[in-house]
Amino acid sequence: MLWVDKYRPRVLDKITVHEEIAQNLKKLVSEQDCPHLLFYGPPGSGKKTMVMALLKEMFGASAEKVKLEQKAWKIAAGTRNIELELAMLASTHHVELNPSDAGFQDRYIVQEIIKEMAKNRPIDSKGKKGFKVLVLNEVDKLSKEAQHSLRRTMEKYSSSCRLILCCNSSSRVTEAVRSRCLNVRLNAPSAEQIIEVLELIAKKESLQLPPGFAARLAAQSNRSLRRAILAFETCRVQQYPFTVNQAIPPLDWEQYVSEICSDIMKEQSPKRLFQVRGKIYELLVNCIPPEIILKKLLSELLKKLDSELKHEVCHWAAYYEHRMRLGQKAIFHIEAFVAKFMSIYKAFLIATFG
Amino acid sequence: MGKRKPVVVLSSSDDEVARTRSTGRVRGLSESSSKSLSAARKKTRSGKSNGGSDVRHSREAEAAKFAALSEDFCGCLQNFHLTRGNQCTKCKELWIDKYEPSSIAQLAVHKKKIEEVKCWLEDRLVTSKGSLGNVLLLTGKAGVGKSTAVRVIASQLGAQLCEWTTPTPTLWQEHVHNVNSGLRFVSKLDEFEAFVGKIGKYSLLCPGSSGASSEPNIILIDDLPVTNGRVAFERLKKCLTSLSLSAQLPIIILITEYHKVDIGENSTNHCEELVSFLERAGAHKVAFNPLTVNSIKKALSMLCQEEQCDVTPEQIDQIAKASGGDIRNAITSLQYCCLRPDNLLISPVSTLLETNAKFYSDRSRLSPFTGLLEEGELVSTYIPCGRDETLSLFHALGKFLHNKRDADAFSFGSESLILKDKYARKPLKMDAPEKILSQAYGKARPVTDFLHENVLDFINDGSIDDAWLVTSYLSDADCLLGSFSHISRLGIFSEMYEPQSLSQSVASSVAIRGVLFGNSQPLSSRWHIIRSPRLWQIEHSAKKLMNQTMNEKFDAFNGFVSSMSQIITEYRPSIRWFNSHCKDRLDNEELAKSSAHSRPDDSEDGTSKEDSDDEIEDW
Repeated sequence: MLWVDKYRPRVLDKITVHEEIAQNLKKLVSEQDCPHLLFYGPPGSGKKTMVMALLKEMFGASAEKVKLEQKAWKIAAGTRNIELELAMLASTHHVELNPSDAGFQDRYIVQEIIKEMAKNRPIDSKGKKGFKVLVLNEVDKLSKEAQHSLRRTMEKYSSSCRLILCCNSSSRVTEAVRSRCLNVRLNAPSAEQIIEVLELIAKKESLQLPPGFAARLAAQSNRSLRRAILAFETCRVQQYPFTVNQAIPPLDWEQYVSEICSDIMKEQSPKRLFQVRGKIYELLVNCIPPEIILKKLLSELLKKLDSELKHEVCHWAAYYEHRMRLGQKAIFHIEAFVAKFMSIYKAFLIATFG
Repeated sequence: MGKRKPVVVLSSSDDEVARTRSTGRVRGLSESSSKSLSAARKKTRSGKSNGGSDVRHSREAEAAKFAALSEDFCGCLQNFHLTRGNQCTKCKELWIDKYEPSSIAQLAVHKKKIEEVKCWLEDRLVTSKGSLGNVLLLTGKAGVGKSTAVRVIASQLGAQLCEWTTPTPTLWQEHVHNVNSGLRFVSKLDEFEAFVGKIGKYSLLCPGSSGASSEPNIILIDDLPVTNGRVAFERLKKCLTSLSLSAQLPIIILITEYHKVDIGENSTNHCEELVSFLERAGAHKVAFNPLTVNSIKKALSMLCQEEQCDVTPEQIDQIAKASGGDIRNAITSLQYCCLRPDNLLISPVSTLLETNAKFYSDRSRLSPFTGLLEEGELVSTYIPCGRDETLSLFHALGKFLHNKRDADAFSFGSESLILKDKYARKPLKMDAPEKILSQAYGKARPVTDFLHENVLDFINDGSIDDAWLVTSYLSDADCLLGSFSHISRLGIFSEMYEPQSLSQSVASSVAIRGVLFGNSQPLSSRWHIIRSPRLWQIEHSAKKLMNQTMNEKFDAFNGFVSSMSQIITEYRPSIRWFNSHCKDRLDNEELAKSSAHSRPDDSEDGTSKEDSDDEIEDW
C-alpha cells in the first residue's frame, strides 16, 4: 500500500492538518443534525480524507465496508431512453460517485440517483427512519444543467438523504447549490504542517530524515500533502539512507512538459509546432487532463521568460483555456496557444537581438 | 402495361436501329429468351380472363377505364411529338445516336488506350491461340466511351460482336403477375449463369466450326448483373472464373466505376473487388480515364458545325467543363442548349430555362462580389444542365491545403474596398470553398480534423505568425462545433438535424477560410500525402485507457482517490516510477526484501508493469 493510503487518518480525531474543522464537524454530527456539506479546496488539502473520516464518525465501521458497483442506469428522458453505466462505491449507508464521468448526460444521473436513494431509506437501530449520504465528487465539473437539477432534487429529497459535495473551486458551483450547503473550505496545508506529517511518517517507518530534507520536499510539493508524501516515498525507493541534497525525482509527465517547453524555446517554426503537437498527443493519450497540461506548460514557460512578455503570455493562456472549455477538442486550443507563444517569442527575439 | 407500352417500344426500336447502323452485325443472344417469356405472359393472361365471372366483370370495367386512359395518354404523347416535330425538324434524333462515331479517328478517347485495346484484340483474333489470356477488362467512369470504343474497334477489325444483352428488370407488379401465373422467377444472375454456360458448351460460337460466318467473334459483356450480398457475389465470381477459363473467344468485360458518394460504400467495394479479382484471374485491364475537357470540346464543336447551330465557344467550354469527362452527358447538354429559344417559346421548358438564366444573371449582378469578379466571368452564361460535379473529400482537402492563388492578379478588393496589405490576399484559383465542400459532401467535424492534421505541412517554415493565425481559426471552428454540442445537450436538436445545422456549416466555413486566409505565403505545390487525423487514434486509445483506469481505480487505490486526474497525474506516475526502479534494483542488488513496501500486489499485475515500462520508453 502506498504511504498516502497507509498513513491516511481514518477518524476525525486523528486528523492533524485541519484539526479545528475536524473537531467542529464531529460536534455537528454528534448533534444528529447534518446539513448538506460542500467541501472545497485545492488538490491535496485533505477533502477526501475528511469526508471518509466524517462518514466513519456518522455510521461507524460499516461505512468503510464499501464495494464497487458498475451500475447501468436506464433513464427515460422525454422521447428517448438513455442508457448509462457508471461506477459507484456503495456501503449500506452511503453512495459515492463521480457524476461528471457521465459526460454531458450528467444531469440525468444526478436526478435519477438521488431519486432512487430517496426511495430506499435505511432504518436505524432506534426504528427511526435514517438518512443516506450521497458523496458527489468533482461537482465543479458538472454542467450547468446538472447543477440546476441537483439543486431541485436537493430540496425535494432533503428529508431522506444528505449530500456531501467535493470540489476544487467553489466558484464553478452555482450560487443556488452553494447556499443550500454548509460550505467548508479546506485550504492547502502550510509547509510546516507538511513537514510535521512527513516527520510523523518517517518516525513510523523508522527512517532517518536528514535536516532540511523534509522542508525541501514540502517546498517542491506546491503545498499539496499528497504530492509531498508521494515524493517522499519516491525518494525512499530511490535511495536510502537519504543524503542532504538528494534530488527529488519529478513526475514523468511533468518532466515531459518541461522538455516540450524547451523545444518551444529553441525554435519557433511550423515544423517545430508539429513536433510539439506530437508530444502533446503523447500526454493526451495517457489521459493527462488538457487543462493541467496547459497550466503546467504555462508555468514552465514563465520560468524561462522575460518579465516583459509574461503578461501577454498569461493572457493568451487564459484565453485558450477558456476556449478549451467551449470547444470539444483540447489539442486545437493548446496548439493555438503554443503557436501564439512562438509568434510572440519570435517577434520578441527579433526585436531584441535583431 | 398499356401505359408503358409506347415508351418501351420506342426506345427499344431506337436501340435496334442505332446498333444496326453503327456496327451492322449485332446479335442479341437473349432475344429468344425474352420472346419466350412474353409468349408465356400472353398465355397466362388469356388463361386468367377465363376465371371467375364476377371478378372478370369488375376487371373488364377497370380494363376499359384503363384503356381509355392510356389512349388519352398516347394521344397526348403523339400530340407532343407532333408539335415538337413541327418546330424543329432537325432534331428528330438524339444526337448521341446520330453522331455515334463510326471510325477510330472520331473517338474522343485517348489514342493510347484505343491502341491498347486494338492491339489486344488483334493479337487474339490473328493468332487465336489460347496461350494468352482471353479476357479484356475495361474500366472507367460512366460516359467515357467504353462501349462505343469497343464497337468501333470491332467493326474496324471486321469482327462480329456477340453481346450479352441485359434482360429488362422485373418490376414488382410483373413479378407478382408471373408468380400468380405459375411462372418461376429467374434472377438476372441465373440468366447470366445460363449464358456463360452456353458460351462454354455450344460450338456455335467457337471460331471456325460454325462456318456460317468467316468473321471472328468477340463476346461483349457490358453490364454485369447486380449482386446483392455475399452469396450472390461469390456466385458471380465463380461464374466469371469459369467464363475466363472456358473462353475460346476474346471476351471484353466493361465495368463502370461509380463515384464513391454516388452509391453506397458496399457496392463500390464489390466493384473494386471484382476488378482485382478478374485481374488475378488473368484478365488484361485497360482503365479509361475521364475524357479531357479539350477532347470533349473538340467533339462538341465538330458536332456544332455539323448541326449548324450557333453556340458560343464559351458555352461549349462550359458544357465541357461541367460534364466531368462524360461525353454522353456533354452531347445531351449541347443538344439541350441548341434548342432555339425562339422556336420553343410555347414550350414551358424553354421559358423555364430563360427565367432560370435570367434569375442567375440577376443574382450575379446583385451579388456583392460582382465588382470583384472579372468581366469574363460575369458574362459567362448559366447553363441549366450538366452534371453536378462531385469531388472526393481528399481532392477538396487538397484544394484547400494547397491554397493555389493567381500569382499575377491584383489582390482582392483593390478597387472597391481598401485593405491593409496585411489582410489583402490574391484571389483564389478555385470556386468558393463552401461550394467545394458541398461537392465533396464534407462534414464539418472530419473536415476540420483533417485540416488541423495536415495544414502545418503547407505553411512556409519561416512564418510562425501564419501558423498561429491558422491554428487560431481552427480553434474558433472547434468552439463553434463545441457550442453545437452544448445545444444538443439541452436536447433541442436530435442527431437527425446534425448535417443541416447552421453552426456546423459555419464552423466548417470558418475552418476552411481560416486555413486559406491564414496561410499567406503558401508553399509552392509539391507532393504531399494527406494524413488521416492522428487525433482520432489518440482519442480512441485515451478513452480505452480511461475506462481501464476506472476499473482499476477501486482495486488499486482502495476507493480513496476522488478524481481521475489525481490518479493519472500523481498516483500512476509514482507507481510507474516505483515499479521500474524496483526492477533495476532487483537486477543490481539483493535488496528485494526492502522493496516489499513499494507495492504488495506486484505479482498480481505483472502485465501492467510491463505496460508501464513500455510507456516509459515511449515517453
